[in-house]
Amino acid sequence: MTKRKMFLRMITASLLRRRSRMLIALLSIAVGATILSGLVTIYIDVPRQMGAQFRSYGANMIILPGEEGSLTGAVLEEAMQVIPSENIVGATPYRYVRLDMPSRQQSFTTAGTDFDEVRKTSPYFSVEGEYPQNRREIMVGKEVAETIGVRLGSSIELSYKPLASFEGEASADWVPGAALLGSSEGFNEAVLNVSAVLDEEGKISEIEVDALSQTENIGSLVGTDKAFLDQFLGKSLPLTLGEDVDALSGATISSQAVVDALNSSRSRENARLSENKEHYTVAGILSTGGEEEAYIYMSLEDLTRLTQEEIMDVAELSVSASAEELEGYAANIQEEYPALTARLVKRLAKSEASVLSKLQALVFLVTAVVLALTLICVSTTMMAVVSERRREIGLRKALGASDGSIRHEFLGEGMFLGGLGGLLGGLLGFAFAQMVSVHVFGSSITFQPLLLPITIIVSMAISAVSCQLPIKKAVAIDPAIVLKGE
Amino acid sequence: MALLELKNISKIYGDLKALDNVSIRVEKGEWVAIMGPSGSGKSTMMNIIGCMDKPTMGEVLLSGVDISKETARSLTDIRRDKIGLIFQQFHMVTYLTAVENVMVSQYYHSMPDEEEALEALGRVGLRDRARHLPSQLSGGEQQRVCVARALINHPELILADEPTGNLDETNENIVLGLFRQLHNEGTTLIVVTHDPEVAEAAQRTIVLEHGRVAREVINENFGK
Ligand SMILES: Nc1ncnc2c1ncn2[C@@H]1O[C@H](COP(=O)(O)OP(=O)(O)OP(=O)(O)O)[C@@H](O)[C@H]1O
Ligand SMILES: [Mg+2]
Repeated sequence: MTKRKMFLRMITASLLRRRSRMLIALLSIAVGATILSGLVTIYIDVPRQMGAQFRSYGANMIILPGEEGSLTGAVLEEAMQVIPSENIVGATPYRYVRLDMPSRQQSFTTAGTDFDEVRKTSPYFSVEGEYPQNRREIMVGKEVAETIGVRLGSSIELSYKPLASFEGEASADWVPGAALLGSSEGFNEAVLNVSAVLDEEGKISEIEVDALSQTENIGSLVGTDKAFLDQFLGKSLPLTLGEDVDALSGATISSQAVVDALNSSRSRENARLSENKEHYTVAGILSTGGEEEAYIYMSLEDLTRLTQEEIMDVAELSVSASAEELEGYAANIQEEYPALTARLVKRLAKSEASVLSKLQALVFLVTAVVLALTLICVSTTMMAVVSERRREIGLRKALGASDGSIRHEFLGEGMFLGGLGGLLGGLLGFAFAQMVSVHVFGSSITFQPLLLPITIIVSMAISAVSCQLPIKKAVAIDPAIVLKGE
Repeated sequence: MALLELKNISKIYGDLKALDNVSIRVEKGEWVAIMGPSGSGKSTMMNIIGCMDKPTMGEVLLSGVDISKETARSLTDIRRDKIGLIFQQFHMVTYLTAVENVMVSQYYHSMPDEEEALEALGRVGLRDRARHLPSQLSGGEQQRVCVARALINHPELILADEPTGNLDETNENIVLGLFRQLHNEGTTLIVVTHDPEVAEAAQRTIVLEHGRVAREVINENFGK
């Protein structure tokens, strides 16, 4: 039998036959190694997980129509070919229009969209009831629902008033006694309607403003504020805001819209002002905790039918790609389709990076603390082991063991424990990471084969360090104790 | 030249002279017993002879070489190469089997050799107990394993401190028989004992009192 064989036989016998104490040391190493390998596994896998997670927090790219040109479904589809289709998680069109609710004399921003895509790009939308599936079904934001008091299944009428369209010069219609109609885009591009009557001298004798579409209690006051409206009486068209009439304070844009509507007004006979109305059923109520709660949502088809215009204002895209790749896609779209603007949703990309770096710091901190605790625990246990084995160590020295042999044997036992604990911890750590991943991220994790040997080596190193003080104590034991009775 | 010679050694702990100017000679192949009341310095002397301690004063000559000034490291080497130790409390490695305990001594000395270790166990009548752990052996059996362990490396000098102190009559006789064999093979033996019967088995008895050699008695009946 070689010395090496005897050495291994001694240290394995020590571990296997004197279980209790060594089990504690083994356990603490295994726990430390479990947390170490688990955290590192999660840490390695997290960027992938976080990517998916963040994409589920909404779109990371938006496409808008440029200065000239408009965004339609066909244009969008073409532009999206720049991005590999398997990377596109979802692409949601939005068109925003102010619609009036005649029964409530209020108006709301309404978004026309594709609900199948909304699910993909805005998975955090929490919908009570259902996403609209059929024609004339809508989803209302929680805030809207509370304001107007609707519930699931309620029916509401929404109307769209397009800009009045005319042929020829407006001023031709401004004859004494004429009843005029005009409209203009006010705040938020919402249409505001004005009707007026001219007296025998061609001056305004009556005026009525429908400003329901304007901001409640601000812009909408241009339709009710008597002092503001009285200014117009006795004035001739065209008018200039600030000279002929003063703006209603706080509502300059709406005031300007009233003036614009009058300046473009035509006689009732000549104005083609068709108001479209439809009844809709509330299929779902949307809660997001954000501004979306103030909107009404309907399918883009319903909105197109109501407005007779087939365009969209913006498309929100959720793309599975790194920040650099995303920038590349946006630049390509910009280059190939100059009529479009592609932008990244910067806020999310940034917060992704900052959450990652915070997570990294956390993982490092927890790992350091766990390693320190393991170090202390193993060191303490080994210290107790040395005390427990004083007589044995004394005996070994009496039998001729040098300090080097004693050091070697304890280190051997420590490294063996470290290796075993590391192996155990490496495997348990994967299970731990898998559990965390499934519970927190809802997806499984890939096994990192390299992590097992690394965990074993780190565990062995830690237990080697932990053994230094106990070894010092063991080496200092006086062999003479074996001749002294207890 | 004597195998061992203590020249005027003293061991002083504070005010206490555990050994006080002791001089003794032990020839090669001799079997010497050391007796004396508790606290008279027997174990202190054995520690010094066994290279586990150094005297405060005086010289210790082992095969003519003064070891009293050696470093702990070279004392370990000397002990390993020349001395076999047997203790009152046996002292076995609790988690190793009988044969492994014998092999530990080989391991530190030179090379573990299981066959040789088993032979040594055979010599003390425990070959069939070789795979037993100390907890599975009686006190007498444990002490016999320790004798096997002490003789495995063929030391020039075997030191035994109260080897039969914890044994019954039967096992005491077995151990004494083993000592007799070792003596016949030429091994030098120094045995500390309280037991007059054990002392009488030796050629010569040195009696310590208060750290001094009180007297020496030659055993007239030795070998009869
Ligand atoms: N390390 C020490 N420090 C202080 N005093 C010691 C030390 N070792 C031994 N002594 C003292 O030296 C004296 C001799 O001790 P020793 O152990 O040699 O006696 P002994 O003859 O072996 O006794 P026993 O028969 O009880 O084993 C005792 O009084 C003891 O208390
Ligand atoms: Mg003693």
